[in-house]
Amino acid sequence: MASKYDLTPRIAPNLDRHLVFPLLEFLQERGLYHEEDILKAKIELLNHTNMVDYAMDIHKSLYHSDDVPQDMIDRRAEVVGRLKALEDGAAPLIGFLQNPNAVQELRADKQYNLQMLNDRYQIGPEQIDALYDYAKFQFECGNYSGAADYLYQYRALCTNNDKSLSALWGKLAAEVLMQNWDIALEELNRLKEIIDSKNFSSPLNQVQSRIWLMHWSLFIFFNHDNGRTQIIDLFNQDKYLNAIQTNAPHLLRYLATAFIVNKRRRPQFKEFIKVIQQEQYSHEDPITEFLACIYVNYDFDGAQKKMRECEEVILNDPFLGKRIEEGNFTTVPLRDEFLENARLFIFETYCRIHQRIDMGVLADKLNLNYEEAERWIVNLIRTSKVEAKIDSKLGTIVMEPNYTNVYEQLIDHTKALSARTYKIVHQLLENAPGQTAR
Amino acid sequence: MASRFWTQGDSDTEEEESDYDEQEDNAAVETTTATAASRYYSGNASDSDDSDGQKRVVRRVKDKRFDELSATVDQMKNAMKINDWVSLQESFEKINKQLGKVMRVTESDKPPNLYIKALVMLEDFLNQALANKEAKKKMSSSNAKALNSMKQKLKKNNKLYEDMINQCREKPELFEEKVEEEQEPEDDDDDEEDEDVDFDEDPENLEAEESDDEDETGNDAETGSGWEKMLSKKDKMMDRQFKDPSQITWDTVNKKFKEIVAARGKKGTGKMELVEQLTFLTRVAKTPAQKLEILFSVVSAQFDVNPSLSGHMPINVWKQCVQNMLAILDILTQYSNIVVDDMVEPDENETQKGADFSGTIMIWGNLVAFLEKVDVEYFKSLQVIDPHTREYVERLKDEPVFLVLAQNVQEYLEKVGDTKGASKVALKRVELVYYKPQEVYDAMRKLAEQDSGDAESGEEKVQEIRGPTAFVATPELVPRKPTFPDNSRALIDILVSLIYKYGDERTKARAMLCDIYHHAIFDEFSTSRDLLLMSHLQDNVQHMDISTQILFNRAMSQLGLCAFRAGLVLEAHSCLSELYSAGRVKELLAQGVSQSRYHEKTPEQERLERRRQMPYHMHINLELLEAVHLICAMLLEVPNMAANVHDAKRKVISKNFRRLLEMSERQTFTGPPENVRDHVMAATRALRQGDFDKAFAVIKSLDVWRLLRNKDSVLEMLKAKIKEEALRTYLFTYSSAYDSLSLDHLSKMFDLSDAETRSIVSKMMINEELHASWDQPTGCIVFHDVEHTRLQALAFHLTEKLTVLAETNERAMEARFGGGGMEGLPHRRKDGQDYAGAAASGGGAGRWQEFSFNQNRQGSSGGRGGYTISGRASAPGLASSGFSRDRQARSGRAYQTGSGARGGQSDGSTRMVNLNRGVRT
Repeated sequence: MASKYDLTPRIAPNLDRHLVFPLLEFLQERGLYHEEDILKAKIELLNHTNMVDYAMDIHKSLYHSDDVPQDMIDRRAEVVGRLKALEDGAAPLIGFLQNPNAVQELRADKQYNLQMLNDRYQIGPEQIDALYDYAKFQFECGNYSGAADYLYQYRALCTNNDKSLSALWGKLAAEVLMQNWDIALEELNRLKEIIDSKNFSSPLNQVQSRIWLMHWSLFIFFNHDNGRTQIIDLFNQDKYLNAIQTNAPHLLRYLATAFIVNKRRRPQFKEFIKVIQQEQYSHEDPITEFLACIYVNYDFDGAQKKMRECEEVILNDPFLGKRIEEGNFTTVPLRDEFLENARLFIFETYCRIHQRIDMGVLADKLNLNYEEAERWIVNLIRTSKVEAKIDSKLGTIVMEPNYTNVYEQLIDHTKALSARTYKIVHQLLENAPGQTAR
Repeated sequence: MASRFWTQGDSDTEEEESDYDEQEDNAAVETTTATAASRYYSGNASDSDDSDGQKRVVRRVKDKRFDELSATVDQMKNAMKINDWVSLQESFEKINKQLGKVMRVTESDKPPNLYIKALVMLEDFLNQALANKEAKKKMSSSNAKALNSMKQKLKKNNKLYEDMINQCREKPELFEEKVEEEQEPEDDDDDEEDEDVDFDEDPENLEAEESDDEDETGNDAETGSGWEKMLSKKDKMMDRQFKDPSQITWDTVNKKFKEIVAARGKKGTGKMELVEQLTFLTRVAKTPAQKLEILFSVVSAQFDVNPSLSGHMPINVWKQCVQNMLAILDILTQYSNIVVDDMVEPDENETQKGADFSGTIMIWGNLVAFLEKVDVEYFKSLQVIDPHTREYVERLKDEPVFLVLAQNVQEYLEKVGDTKGASKVALKRVELVYYKPQEVYDAMRKLAEQDSGDAESGEEKVQEIRGPTAFVATPELVPRKPTFPDNSRALIDILVSLIYKYGDERTKARAMLCDIYHHAIFDEFSTSRDLLLMSHLQDNVQHMDISTQILFNRAMSQLGLCAFRAGLVLEAHSCLSELYSAGRVKELLAQGVSQSRYHEKTPEQERLERRRQMPYHMHINLELLEAVHLICAMLLEVPNMAANVHDAKRKVISKNFRRLLEMSERQTFTGPPENVRDHVMAATRALRQGDFDKAFAVIKSLDVWRLLRNKDSVLEMLKAKIKEEALRTYLFTYSSAYDSLSLDHLSKMFDLSDAETRSIVSKMMINEELHASWDQPTGCIVFHDVEHTRLQALAFHLTEKLTVLAETNERAMEARFGGGGMEGLPHRRKDGQDYAGAAASGGGAGRWQEFSFNQNRQGSSGGRGGYTISGRASAPGLASSGFSRDRQARSGRAYQTGSGARGGQSDGSTRMVNLNRGVRT
């Protein structure tokens, strides 16, 4: 049941092999699946990487034996051999890069650098490519920090756009795996710029890149301090939202969560509700359904049910269910935040269409007991988020009728007009310089 | 009918007979004789007597007379079967004349037993007919008259042979045997005659022998059914010329071929004759390449058979043509070194290279063009044939035949690596399948399987009855049986993905539209909507050719129907409203010609239009379409009118519907509903009163619903919708009269559950359509009185008009300077791109303009119903301000695509914006 909403199978294809490990680790911890299955999946993953030692360990723990299949041993020998070869290939350049004096000679001009390397150190394009291969290999072996360094340097030297792009992806993956969120975020933005600006060979390719980018970014956004705002900034862009709708509707879960947790994004939120409504058919997810219940169907009982499901989902999601250990407590900060905000959403909408509400019913709807609910509401009233009074004799909340002043409305309507007109005139003048002379 | 066979038999038999005499021991010729003989059997059994008689005339007069006699008897039998006394009478007179001749020849005074038997038969039948009074009454006057005269004649005649007749009646077996006996002793000539008789009596035997022969000779696939009947003298000459196989060389064939081709198109060259001659040549062609070259000429000559653009190729020629194409493919498959291309000018003697030549041989030809032509002819024939006849159904059954051909051509092209051509062919296949629901598809599949089952035995026979053995025998390599996946979706998916990969723009667009259409038939609204929006077809369909525009319209209407079935009223309405806005639905869907009062069409235009018509079996039911459109309009418009009683003119959702409503309201008396329109109008009247039961009953009584597969669930959905809209209408209309209203009461009134009612009312509250709020403890709706004063209302109008003004300015700017300069504007709207016109296909450019202009104006007043492109309503002020503004912003938002995608072509992200943006939230 709990695995019904597990997105790992849908997310994994859009990630790098190495990035799937953290997800599997998480799943293993949660115990949603059989341990054996997960271990098998891990071996499967590792089979195509160079982390053969790790694969051997897993194999041992999976079958409780010390025997390792012959092909793994063979592969290990092969990997080691190849590592040597690549290392030799890249040795001249690495030697150069490790010499701080020599590195200082590099300048911002790539052409100059290449020329200089070629003339003075006999380091040609082959060696530079070798560096790339070596970095890739290092990454495959699980040596992410090494890979990240080499890739960074490679990018400084490389002139091939495609390879440079792959190097950037590699760098991002390495940073994510090392959990350097700040640097990863920088890389992410760099990558995003390239994807958005570059004239991709095909639109399809571009969409695919965007989808990858979004998947990879999940690691960053749900770990970075400022991530929840940024995820909205990224995902809610038209181009990215379209990509989500087209190819990866499951990502709506994360965007929805970010919206719920983030209070300051109301204008975009309305648009987002429409997207959710439209995508209902293609993806079933408690979190989006929760929003649909409140804002599309006004079904508060349903919303309340969904809220419970949401809690479950959040706990089982590798990105959302991140836990923090405080002393001997483990808390899932996002869950608490989510529930608090979700309650607020229900309450807000509920209040908008009611003028009198029974406290008992409300408490029920909010998944709180009577006292808690009263306290909660009093808090809201005090912080003037709600204009209401509690009638404690009848046990009801009475809403203050809230009409917008007619004059306010009129002003609202017309406020933007002058700015728009001004802009238009401005543009008109700009576009027709000849006529301004008159 | 008979004459055809007469002539045919004439020429062939005469010749073969003479051959026979000359070269009795020539085995090969014997086969041909046999083949010729067998043709009569498979050709037309009833006529075989005639021709057989003809054959014997060379040898014996007596036999001929006898045969004539028996032929007449057969005719009489036939006439009896259909109770045709007139022809019976004629036959009787004929038989008496013949009797005289026979008597003279046999020199006996006794009439032949055959004659006596006939008399007996006739007498019996006459008595029977006379006894049956009732049947007699029913007879036509001429028939009855003939019967009476027959009665008298027969009486007189029979007196002469009275004793013999009695004898015959007593012992019919005697006469039976006697006939044989009498004839056999007379057959005293050579054994060959006997053989012939054997053939006559034992056709099965012959056939068996025959098929053995055929297997050996492996006749070319080039076949003839009945149509090769008019062998002219020239042909016979040719036959002679090529009679001796040893004499035929590549050169003679080539020379003859050039000669015939040169005659093509000249005056006095019969088109069919040309085909005949070429067909003959294929049989004597010396090399595969030559045969191929000639076959190509045959096919193009066959295309010539039909001279006019509007008429279609005769069906048998079409079938023949398909067979020829298959033969071409056979050769191409067998000799993979032969390359077909229409770009090269092949060497004169290219075709001389024989089957064992290993290099590539270039042959001129274009398979794709031929295939397309075959398709066009098929399409035309369906356009022309009256759809209510059996002929039409028969013609439809030829579809698998074409599909086989297309499939084979496509496979061949794929093998050769001509992916572009393959994708074109794939499109042809898609176009034959896309409009078929699963049931029809299954039927076609079954038919194809059945057909090929029959064809195994049947087709073989037809094919192998040809005359001389082909020199270049090609086994049937390509399958003659279409292979269909289990469901049409799978088939379409395969083909469409091929097209998307390799096809050119037009092919892709058409394939996409077919895909959309097909998804819509299968009730996958969201998929097909996404395809439509992602492909940007709406943006550029008006630049495409008319037949693609028609396809687009068809896809749109099917999408509308699909949306309706799924219960998406607003979407359905936005899909369909364009079609109905100009009242030219028939024209737009190419399902008939609509008469316009306002302008006459030139004959030229009319002809063009007629050529575009869809064949009947592809039609979308117009009544259903109209019903769906009007019902959607009703569901949207009735509450809308109730909400804006004061200025109804302002927010019009469906102009068309409003106009109809006005017309029906102007009527003094309203009779019971007759057509679709009346029904919907009657339902509208009921709905406006809040009488949902009656409204639903009227709608339900429409008989178009039987056309829907899931009729019950659709009606269920419709009922729920009607209730909902009735509730909304009620609240709009009467809310001012209430201070509070209980939920229970409301639910009971509209037969809805509490939850549904609550949901609907809540939605209205949130959207500020209803100024009220819930009183939760008592379960009541409490209405707030927020009427604006007159001054305030006017002020609101003013601000709205100002907004419109500002928007118009912006649009004017945009039109003048292009979208690029407007990026900075807070509120981008690109209404300039309207697809209003997209649906209109027939009209000229002028009308487009006018059309979209109208739409623009409408757009500015807020009630755009069309597929307007507009930016996301990103201005913060817009989304959440006042009531009227909000509604305005929403009402027209169906089918938008974002401006971003249009602005930045370089940004090719698949862009998809919802249909739902305008839905009430």
